[in-house]
Amino acid sequence: MTKFSVNDRPVEYRMDPETPLLWALRDASNLTGTKYGCGTGECGACTVDIDGEAIRSCIVTIAECEGRFVTTIEGLSRDRSHPVQQAWVAEQVPQCGFCQSGMIMAAAALLRKSSNPSDAEIDAAMTNICRCGTYPRIRGAIRLASRVLRGEEKLAAAPPPGIRPEDAARAVPSLKPPARR
Amino acid sequence: MTGIRDKVGKGKTRLPHVSRRSILVGATAAGGLAVAWALWPRAYGPNLTAAPDEHVFNAFLKIGDDGHISAIVPQCEMGQGVTTLLPQIMADELGADWRTIAVETAPISPIYANTLLVDEDSATFTPRSGVPDAVQDVRSWVRREWAVRNAVMLTANSSSVRMFEGPCRDAAAQARALLMKAAARRWDADWEECDTQDGFVTLGTKRLRFGDLAAEAATLDPPAEPVYRASSADPLYGKELTRLDLPAKIDGSANYAGDIRLPDMVYAAIRQGPLGATRLKSIDRKAGMASPGLLHIVTHERWIATVARNWWAANRALDRFAPTFETEGAPISNDMIDAALVAALDGDGYRVASKGDVAEAMEGRRQLTAEFLVAPALHASIETRTATAAPDGDGIRVWVATQAPTQCRDAIARATGLPENAVTLFPMMAGGSFDACLDHSVAVQAAIIAREIKRPVQLAWSRAEEIMRVAPRAPARAKLSATLNAAGGLDALVTRIAVPSTNHEVRARLFDNRPADEAQRASVGRPDAAAVEGAAARYAIPHFAVDHCPADIGLPTARWRGNADSYTAFFTECFIDELAARAGTDALSYRMAMLGDAPLLARCLLTVTSLGGWEGGLAGTAQGLACHSMRGSHIALMATARQSDRGLQVEQLVAVVDAGRLVNPAVARQQVEGGLVFGLAAAVGATTDYEGGVATARKLHQLGLPRLSQCPEIIVEFVDSDRDPGGLGEVGVPVVAPAIANAMFAATGRRIRRLPLSAHPL
Repeated sequence: MTKFSVNDRPVEYRMDPETPLLWALRDASNLTGTKYGCGTGECGACTVDIDGEAIRSCIVTIAECEGRFVTTIEGLSRDRSHPVQQAWVAEQVPQCGFCQSGMIMAAAALLRKSSNPSDAEIDAAMTNICRCGTYPRIRGAIRLASRVLRGEEKLAAAPPPGIRPEDAARAVPSLKPPARR
Repeated sequence: MTGIRDKVGKGKTRLPHVSRRSILVGATAAGGLAVAWALWPRAYGPNLTAAPDEHVFNAFLKIGDDGHISAIVPQCEMGQGVTTLLPQIMADELGADWRTIAVETAPISPIYANTLLVDEDSATFTPRSGVPDAVQDVRSWVRREWAVRNAVMLTANSSSVRMFEGPCRDAAAQARALLMKAAARRWDADWEECDTQDGFVTLGTKRLRFGDLAAEAATLDPPAEPVYRASSADPLYGKELTRLDLPAKIDGSANYAGDIRLPDMVYAAIRQGPLGATRLKSIDRKAGMASPGLLHIVTHERWIATVARNWWAANRALDRFAPTFETEGAPISNDMIDAALVAALDGDGYRVASKGDVAEAMEGRRQLTAEFLVAPALHASIETRTATAAPDGDGIRVWVATQAPTQCRDAIARATGLPENAVTLFPMMAGGSFDACLDHSVAVQAAIIAREIKRPVQLAWSRAEEIMRVAPRAPARAKLSATLNAAGGLDALVTRIAVPSTNHEVRARLFDNRPADEAQRASVGRPDAAAVEGAAARYAIPHFAVDHCPADIGLPTARWRGNADSYTAFFTECFIDELAARAGTDALSYRMAMLGDAPLLARCLLTVTSLGGWEGGLAGTAQGLACHSMRGSHIALMATARQSDRGLQVEQLVAVVDAGRLVNPAVARQQVEGGLVFGLAAAVGATTDYEGGVATARKLHQLGLPRLSQCPEIIVEFVDSDRDPGGLGEVGVPVVAPAIANAMFAATGRRIRRLPLSAHPL
């Protein structure tokens, strides 16, 4: 009853089927990018993608996920290359960052449905609560991401993780290349 | 850009900037800078750990053989960008390549004491007026010594850059001198002829990587005084560099206290009962123990915690234990709070600030008065209080976000009976905070649970616990009385504010580890100048007075983003607007006439009205103004707001800020935008009622926090300035509510005198 895909990998959770997806992801799979903020589906910090829909994982049980495809922030891209992630850095959206995984997942789901969303569509899709006050940048970041998705603009705002020391040294003169073995 | 560098440093007796080599900056004026420099490196050596190929230069910098530079940040990252700002200051002075900068959290050490905050805080506690300078100097010195000895590494009061720009720049200057000395040895040259750029020491066409020099440089003796780098053609200071923490905050890899995963770790949930002197009375042990997945139960005289393999199972078990609590005394309620505020306002108070002679000025003259009421304000950060704790031999390790790491460690030590050196604290990033991380209950609870169950545990408060148990910013009631001169201008103003003595409570909790209810009772009746901070407005009023009327509301209260200024600016700026309307004068000109002594604030106000298209504040314009100064920064805000069939609609906020020179304008803009949105939330909600000793709200939606669709258009402009940096974290918060209230008056003709905004009479 609790078999489904998480970030393209098959998983069976040996947990109470009534367990909200959020806690299976966080406490069993150690996918901690998805955050707990309220447990009642109000804040959106736990938003994940289930079969293309932005869903608040604190109010979905793992039983309800049977056979479905769940994508978390960790699975959105392998290297921070998703246009929403890149736009989020280009527009310097995050502050404390705690609500941002949910924001990014909601924005990515919106852009999959609507390649050029209106303000009203953005407002309707982005109902996540942020206390640091990142709202003034969110519409702009979503529009930027939509232009990138449509191929009108290119972005390289955030580096991929795991840059090799030799590659870093090639780009940055003051870094010393590691000794060859 | 040389102007920026010329103004850096705190010494009053500095020589004019002539050339790089001729500067010897005497940081002799009393200040954190002088203390830190004089004590390096002998009295308090850096207690940093270094990797084998890494070299410790001082308490703020390590450099690796590979050329990476680790900047040590002694402040809590709560979203304000401090883990970018302080490294940016250091990289600039060092002449480093920004792409080589890494960030580490500082260990606990007296070197990192926030002496500025302690000094400012004490100054509001014991106002300086009337105290001779000599006495004041001694008191300041004693306070700073206390702060250093106790390693008071507070993150609060928008003080990160104001406090640490000097020490960070000095640390970088010291490291830079050592690198140049090492290079000069190799080149057989005078080290002072060398320079640094992009991570290299240079001399003419010769250059050497920092990484190639680090091992040798770290063993050399630094010059007696910091020698600063001359201005570079492309300084990092003042640049809109991308925050260093952003990559980890877009892919879910940024770790908060709740993201720690340890072998054999389990998850705990907690229930703590009503506010006040509360004891756990009973639990349904039989029903509780049958709860699926339950591993452990830990009871304490004030709370019960359940432990399971996932947090949800632990939290569910709490319901089945159905804990009941008993609380001494009358349970806290809205009625009780309101009655206490009214009684305090009618009673005696302490005159905290005064100028001229208000009694004489008001004698026999017609007084205009208005009363205001402000509800408690919740922090409501999206991260609930969370800590991870693991037994470590006889000691304990704790991962938690804290704005006072030394006091957090001490609180854990006291509660567990361990010596302080048996407690290892890992300071984490905070998911919000807004000063909630000045409370250490969750860290203490996690440590107690981990020791009892003898395994690693992660404790997270539920949202309901967070709403009910995080002490809010105090509610307040105020009465403002004024007499006018013949032209309708302000001649005398008395601001009486009934509010709890919050800062006494905070100190008792933070430094003396007293439970919230005890700290609240001990604070009753004590004068607290910080509780009315910001009420002595920048306006030139011939006679004014500010009174603190301590209110015993029973409810524990706390610091919060914006602190007292968040209500005092509401009182003053709304009242000034009323007086302007009564005088038939434009709210802008009415303010400007009184801002002769505050040119920076006046400039913000003039700029914002021209930027926002101020139409004179006439009825029907829906525009409102407010301005305020705090933490060395000035802000003016113009709001456009109206009443619609969907309720209050805030359409636009235009802010102009003078925060001195900006380390990173992009981060500065984030902070002001964030402050405005936080202020907006407090203007429309972010509160709860209290009944029967508990908050009536349990869920987030009951707090009425704004979402994207309720966020107005926000425009923020900064005034170009080379003043020393002012604080940016809080300055956006206080002006929002009064600007909106004033706009609502222009739109509807009705005065709003309560927060959250409501035209309902008091």
